[in-house]
Amino acid sequence: MSSYLLKTLTKKEEIDRIIRDTIDEVLVLRFGRCTDAVCLHHDDILAKSATDVSKFAKIALVDVDSEDVQVYVKYFDITLFPSTIFFFNAHHMKLDSGTADHTKWVGAFHIKQDFIDVVEEIYRGAMKGKMIVQCPVPPERIPKYQLLYKDV
Amino acid sequence: ATLEDSFLADLDELSDNEAELDENDGDDGKEEEDIDMDMADLESLNYDDLDTVSKLQKSQRYIDIMQKVEEALGKDSDGAEKGIVLEDDPEYKLIVDCNQLSVDIENEIAIVHSFIRDKYKLKFQELESLVHHPIDYARVVKKIGNETDLTLVDLEGLLPSAIIMVVSVTALTTKGSPLPEDVLQKVLEACDRALDLDSARKKVFDFVESKMGSIAPNLSAIVGSAVAAKLMGTAGGLSALAKMPACNVQVLGHKRKNLAGFSSATSQTRVGYLEQTEIFQSTPPGLRARASRLVAAKSTLAARVDATRGDPLGKNGKALREEIRKKIEKWQEPPPARQPKPLPVPDSEPKKRRGGRRLRKMKERYAVTDMRKLANRMAFGTPEESSLGDGLGEGYGMLGQAGSNRLRVSSVPSKLKINAKVAKKLKERQYAGGATTSGLTSSLAFTPVQGIELCNPQQALGLGSGTQSTYFSESGTFSKLKKI
Repeated sequence: MSSYLLKTLTKKEEIDRIIRDTIDEVLVLRFGRCTDAVCLHHDDILAKSATDVSKFAKIALVDVDSEDVQVYVKYFDITLFPSTIFFFNAHHMKLDSGTADHTKWVGAFHIKQDFIDVVEEIYRGAMKGKMIVQCPVPPERIPKYQLLYKDV
Repeated sequence: ATLEDSFLADLDELSDNEAELDENDGDDGKEEEDIDMDMADLESLNYDDLDTVSKLQKSQRYIDIMQKVEEALGKDSDGAEKGIVLEDDPEYKLIVDCNQLSVDIENEIAIVHSFIRDKYKLKFQELESLVHHPIDYARVVKKIGNETDLTLVDLEGLLPSAIIMVVSVTALTTKGSPLPEDVLQKVLEACDRALDLDSARKKVFDFVESKMGSIAPNLSAIVGSAVAAKLMGTAGGLSALAKMPACNVQVLGHKRKNLAGFSSATSQTRVGYLEQTEIFQSTPPGLRARASRLVAAKSTLAARVDATRGDPLGKNGKALREEIRKKIEKWQEPPPARQPKPLPVPDSEPKKRRGGRRLRKMKERYAVTDMRKLANRMAFGTPEESSLGDGLGEGYGMLGQAGSNRLRVSSVPSKLKINAKVAKKLKERQYAGGATTSGLTSSLAFTPVQGIELCNPQQALGLGSGTQSTYFSESGTFSKLKKI
């Protein structure tokens, strides 16, 4: 389906390698299941914009069901799928979108242009040396969710 | 009487002059005759006889060549003898003669045409501009004859119907009159002569065309033997054709078309005999201009090969034809499909600053004005004037200087707050300037103890004598404070 354009990673070494080897490009890692409906929508948008951002970004999918990957799931504290994490030159880039969690983007993007805007913003911030950037997506298109801390 | 005598004397003088002129004419007589002979072709108006104008058909050369052509057309062509060098081949010589003859026939037709036209002008003047082609003109003249009413004349098949219509309409309003009988006879004779010449020309062309395969194999491989024969005929020989540049070859045989009110946008310009080639007819109309140029160029190359007899088998010609065909096919290919372009890297391309008249006008509003420029400059050796006078306030530079017809400066007191130091200096000067002090003030001060005491009134005000420096002054303020 959409993932024939995008690489799917299942092993830890693969993830390590891709994070290390992406130089001067934003690395977009999507954590999710390829069977989930929201994930499919998200993947579709990622696949369509893959060629457009190819000059300054690289996109990869991580299947959250394999065991190697659980380390990363725990490290990044990923509970809702799909979650997207951005890297630049092996630095983890944070995104302030008005939600509680700045380390990742939770949920699917509504339109292709939103995703491209986010990636461009991350690129610009990273080239300037920032570690966190403001999200350019208007708040009505940001997926809302609630973070539970120890079931509170 | 004396007046009459003087007139008679004048007349005598005139006759004397004529006698002198006649003598001079005698010497120049021969030259004039020669000139007349040259002018004969152009001034055939003066000559009533057709034969003095058109001599070609009577000439021996013409008769010989036509005889040979008829013979050659009659018998089937025998195998070309390749052993003989081209120049010695009698058939080739005949072809060369034929080419020359066809050019001569063409010139002759033009002469006869002008003869007919001049005679027929009295009857139907506008016909000449409506029907351009000489042979068509001759045919039409023959058909109309002396007829005044053109509805009785059937011009079908001679001309396109649009032209027939225009001719009939013009005939109604023409101011010509029917010709006298003998003139009419001469005109008809001339028309017959023109048609004979045309048929002779056709015969010559057919003969050359049948021989074209052995004469110019490369050229006929590209454009076909009929067109090749026509090109050769019009150019006046194979070597003449080879010497022509390709742009000339392209328009060889271009006919002047009568527009008759139609638009000239649809007419094809700059194509001559090449229009009749198979290649040209099979290209789509949009590419025809390019194709005609290409064919003209390649056929010129082929003609040059043939003129030097470089390729007797015609392989070169076939290769050129193949090349032409491939090129025309390539032109008709659709353009390659568009690839989706990836977005450019953000902030990699610097913003393009646009210039232009609008921007310049905007910048003009913030530019340094002439007044400011003058104020910034200073003259050498003259102290500049300033707003508060004497070096205080804003300097005026070259503004308002004597001799410059530029801006004048009027002293309007500024509403801006003045610095404390500057205010003190101003007041000091005001008092030192002095002319406006009241007459009742005095520098004498009366004190009860000492009596009259002369003191400086400025000192009382705290201004000092003007020579006190502000640096060491007791009443002065701190000029500089520094935080430790």
